[in-house]
Amino acid sequence: MKSRWFTTACTVTVLALAGAGCGSDDGDDGGTTSAASTGASSTAAPAAGAAEKFPASTTMGKIQARGEIKIGVKYDVPPFGFKNPRNDQIEGFDIDFGKAVADALGVKPTYVEAISDNRIPFIKDGTADLILSTMTINAERVKEIGFTNPYFIAKGRILQKKGGGITGVDGLAGKTVCTALGSTYEETLKKQAPKAKLQLVDTYSECLELIQNGAVDAVSTDDVILTGMIIQDDSLELVEGEALTTEPYGGGLKKGDTAYTEFLNGVLDKYKSDGRWATAYEKWLGQYTGEKQEPPTETLDSVLAAAAG
Amino acid sequence: MFELFSDNSDQFLSGLWVTTRLVAASFLVAVVLGTLIAALRVAPNKWVNRAGGVYVEIFRDTPLLVLLFIAYPGLRRSGVEIGAWTAGIAALGVYTSAYVAEVLRSGVFAVARGQAEAGLSLGFTQPQVMRRIVLPQAARTVIGPLGSITIAMIKNSAIVGASIVALPDLLKEARIVNSNTFQTEESFLWAAVGYLLLTITVTIIFRSLESRYAVRR
Repeated sequence: MKSRWFTTACTVTVLALAGAGCGSDDGDDGGTTSAASTGASSTAAPAAGAAEKFPASTTMGKIQARGEIKIGVKYDVPPFGFKNPRNDQIEGFDIDFGKAVADALGVKPTYVEAISDNRIPFIKDGTADLILSTMTINAERVKEIGFTNPYFIAKGRILQKKGGGITGVDGLAGKTVCTALGSTYEETLKKQAPKAKLQLVDTYSECLELIQNGAVDAVSTDDVILTGMIIQDDSLELVEGEALTTEPYGGGLKKGDTAYTEFLNGVLDKYKSDGRWATAYEKWLGQYTGEKQEPPTETLDSVLAAAAG
Repeated sequence: MFELFSDNSDQFLSGLWVTTRLVAASFLVAVVLGTLIAALRVAPNKWVNRAGGVYVEIFRDTPLLVLLFIAYPGLRRSGVEIGAWTAGIAALGVYTSAYVAEVLRSGVFAVARGQAEAGLSLGFTQPQVMRRIVLPQAARTVIGPLGSITIAMIKNSAIVGASIVALPDLLKEARIVNSNTFQTEESFLWAAVGYLLLTITVTIIFRSLESRYAVRR
């Protein structure tokens, strides 16, 4: 009897370990697949006919050899990046640009969820080849990772319940304001509304929950993210007045990868000039806000200079 | 490494203080509730017993993260104006109380039945037997397991900060430091040091209690 119990316990333990092993294999299979499929890259990427073929030593070549580009995006920030609950697809403005990058390489895009707090580590440790996750270009981040030219310019604003009585950034004194940990608004709010109480959560969907149930008085982040919340819940409104900040969104990549940066900027220029940017804007923002916007003309250097000056 | 701490000591220390208060308050809730439920569990009446059993199963079998969702956004959506602190303490305290109740119950049952019978035959009433004979002996055996539960609770407290309740606890402050400095390893190392300080303190307290009340065998 005792030995049977021992056997059962061993079996369970072994199965549990095997299960854990399989689980962790999933995390690494990017590496093994790329090694295994290097020789068969022409078959791995059937769509590569139209795409330029890059030398294997470049980041583009490595992605082509792998047959997929890993893009870190938001899963809960409509209309930029969100998992559509109806069909489980990842959709949004960021995703459309990600598809354009994948098309230019002739590879399949795969998405990983990159929240504000983990997207920079994801670039550093290679979990993602590219981050398109409503990420503002700023001086601190430029020290850590590389950026493309801005593909969207957002403005910092405040969201409140209709009739909440906040009239400007000064009105935040003594109020509880929700924003995401690791976002630029932590600093912005500490500077512009030092008397506000900050509630730092992981995702903007948590901020939406907290303002809906009244636990916080306001949410502060990029206007387009807040617009996404108003689309979901029309009892919310933007606080009038001047924008808190200008937030140029850039694609994030490994620091110092010049060829890859130039490639991505080339894709972006084409995306802006051939009308795909405008189509995506209308699809994800314009039809809800009724506003028109031109693609950004700023470059990485110009937005960094503007932020410094 | 030490520079990261001295540059951000305000944040680390305030985080440690938040975690300490959260753990202390939740421990009180857990011990008071846990004792009450354990009393139900060892009561002679079958139905009272089962009521205690239902409580234990509900709160021990629900993930802490789910309890936090119920206690904060859940209650607020049902019109209860609960604050983040109250919700966090309630969820962590109630969750832990189920474990405390189970430990106390098994402690009471570990006292040999003959002890209570001897007490009753000497003319003690049932409550007197409980208070003077069973509980003092039970208390000794539960000190060790209670220490383990307290240490588990300290670590579980990080879930309160990471959840939607978002109390600015030690882990959260470390993550804020990390997001400002990008020094990931050092930020979390200092958080680990903070948690270690708390758990070692608790270990020392429970060890000394254990040796003080130990049965000389």
